[in-house]
Amino acid sequence: MKASSYRLGLICLLLYVLLIGSACAAESDEEDEDEITFRDFSLNIGDRVDLDDYQMELIEIQSLRDGLVVMRVSRVGGSLDEQRALLLDSPNNFDGGAEKGGVTITITDIFDEQSARVRLEYEQKLGTPRKRASDRPAAMPEKPELLVQKSFDRNEMHVGDEVKVTITIKNTGTGTANDIDVQDIPPLPEFTYIAGYPPKIKETLDSGQSDSAVYILNAAREGSVQIPAVVVSYADSKKNSKSNSSEPFSIIIRPKSKADLVINVEDTPPLVLDEEGLLNISISNQGSASATRIEATGEVSPSDGLEIKGLDKSFFEIPPGDAANFSARISGHKRGIYTIRLKVSYDDGDGSVIREATSRAVVLKREYKYQYLLVIIPIIIVSAWIYRRHREYKY
Amino acid sequence: MLNVLMLGVGQCGNRILDAMNKEAFGGGGASKLAKYYLRPKFPSRVETLAINTAVNDLKELRFTTAKDRLHVPNLHGVGANRNVGKQAFMENRDMIMGEIEKRGDFDIAFVITSTSGGTGSSFSPLLINELKRQYKDIAVITVAILPFREEGSIYLQNAAFSMRELMEVDAEGIILADNQYMKRFSGDIASAYDKINNMIAQRLLFLIESLDSEMLSVTDLGDFKTVMNGGLRIGTMGFYQADSKNLSIRDAIENSLKPGNLLYPANVADDAARAMIIIQGSREHLDVDEITKAVEKLSASAGHVFKGIMVKKGRPKILSVFTLASAPELEGIYAQAARAMQEEKEKRTRARKQLDDAFAHIEDLEEIY
Repeated sequence: MKASSYRLGLICLLLYVLLIGSACAAESDEEDEDEITFRDFSLNIGDRVDLDDYQMELIEIQSLRDGLVVMRVSRVGGSLDEQRALLLDSPNNFDGGAEKGGVTITITDIFDEQSARVRLEYEQKLGTPRKRASDRPAAMPEKPELLVQKSFDRNEMHVGDEVKVTITIKNTGTGTANDIDVQDIPPLPEFTYIAGYPPKIKETLDSGQSDSAVYILNAAREGSVQIPAVVVSYADSKKNSKSNSSEPFSIIIRPKSKADLVINVEDTPPLVLDEEGLLNISISNQGSASATRIEATGEVSPSDGLEIKGLDKSFFEIPPGDAANFSARISGHKRGIYTIRLKVSYDDGDGSVIREATSRAVVLKREYKYQYLLVIIPIIIVSAWIYRRHREYKY
Repeated sequence: MLNVLMLGVGQCGNRILDAMNKEAFGGGGASKLAKYYLRPKFPSRVETLAINTAVNDLKELRFTTAKDRLHVPNLHGVGANRNVGKQAFMENRDMIMGEIEKRGDFDIAFVITSTSGGTGSSFSPLLINELKRQYKDIAVITVAILPFREEGSIYLQNAAFSMRELMEVDAEGIILADNQYMKRFSGDIASAYDKINNMIAQRLLFLIESLDSEMLSVTDLGDFKTVMNGGLRIGTMGFYQADSKNLSIRDAIENSLKPGNLLYPANVADDAARAMIIIQGSREHLDVDEITKAVEKLSASAGHVFKGIMVKKGRPKILSVFTLASAPELEGIYAQAARAMQEEKEKRTRARKQLDDAFAHIEDLEEIY
């Protein structure tokens, strides 16, 4: 009996617990249904979120810069149909907002001109919001993108050299770039500009279009120069301002290039009297600039006894690394050692310069091929004669 | 041009011939090496031949070519024996004459020989005979050298006999030179020989030159032959060259005749038979009047005098050639030779007797062993 009462008591206790539990649960459900919850959605233009009979559609990213997004909120039945520009991070209440059974929409982030993150706040009783992707194809956003490039036609130059600077702007984006403005830092102290500055670039560049401007500078001071970037600013069709800049780089300006003529006069092998020989002369430009108005004149010391033809020459220009070669004919009329002095005057690009070189020419006595016979034959003849006489008188 | 044959026979003749060849190279100033670079320059066509039986004598010659040295093979000389010399000549006559014949024809031949030696004294008379036989028109003049008197009895004997034979041959004449007389020119015999040889050589060449030159006053071979045929056909030569202090031509002529300038001691004024005076010098020195006076003076004693004048730059040079009408000096030589021979004979007899007396000691004995 006792056991059955125990069992009954246990059952009653369980029932009580269940009754209490279910009563508490009913109370709790009522409270939960009034609780406000939220949910974030990433929406592209045209995407819609349905919640109960609310329909919320992302219409447009009106201004990326200002954080303005246009959304349309409506209710099935037509009791609500409103299109509103929503400011970033500003809650917007519809139908009194979430606290009053409506919805509150906040733009929490704008990804780009096509998408944004939207937070939807609502009462839980309204159910679960569902995202409906737009059936319309996504419209290509108009996004101009300007690439800017600044280049010198050479990385190394000499003081006084002209250098061509090219600014190239190319619209690699999808929209038209407007109000293009190029900001190039004026010529540095290392340069003086000659022509074409400041660079002129079209104000508008359609997608894929490019424009360039060239200006010419003159290197004025030697040294390593860091060339600052060129900055281009522009606006898209929605007046969104953008800018871009080129990569900075450095160039080297070397000292002013000059011509440096080196004269090489080959020593001639010894000449025999009245024999002709060649004096080979090479004037090479080992400088970095062309030598111009080159005049070569020669003189011989002592002045008589050695005749030279073709030693005086003139050349208009000898480019750097190049050489002018010529030969002079020399013939000796008097034996001796002669000094040939060659004087070369030229313009090295910075003024007139004179260079000198000397060579030596030796004029020997006429050499007879079998000259030794002149000694040997008489000795033989005299010896033969003496021997003959000796034999004649030998008894 | 005169064709002259100069034959030096025997050692003395060879040396005088060699001196002539040396003179032909330029005289006393000629270097010993002159023969290597010069040719002998004779005034005429002169052929020389040195003949000797002694090879060593021929080898000593310095200015005579080898082809002009003829060795007559007879061992080593004839040892001053004229008989051996004569035999050697006769045995080699054809060879000797063949050598001479190779040298062509001649107008005059000088046979230079010592009278005292072996080869020269024996060969010369025979050689002259052969020359005369072979060359019909040749004039042969013997230049005979008399020996030093102290050289020995054989040389004196040879001189005596040789001179006699030379006088007997058919030569145009004999020019005598006396070594004994000329010895005074030098202290020692060796240098005296050289000096005598050179002196004789110079005079002979001067003579040849004068016989074959264009002259102001001509003397030719005929005149010379005439002179040499005069008197004893024995003559001698005098020579004088004026010095710068006295250039008188007359004095030069007279000096050339003085005994001191002769090859053989003679008194021209007393002994000369015929003479020839050859004068050479620059024109300014050749005063004809002076020459004539000097020649006239000589003519007064010597009979006929030929004179020849050669104009040649230089101081006056005079060569006098004359023949003697008498030769008293020769007689002295012969006397001396005879004495020497007599002494030699007596000495030999005495020696023989002594030897015979010695042999007498063993006359009746026989060798016992």
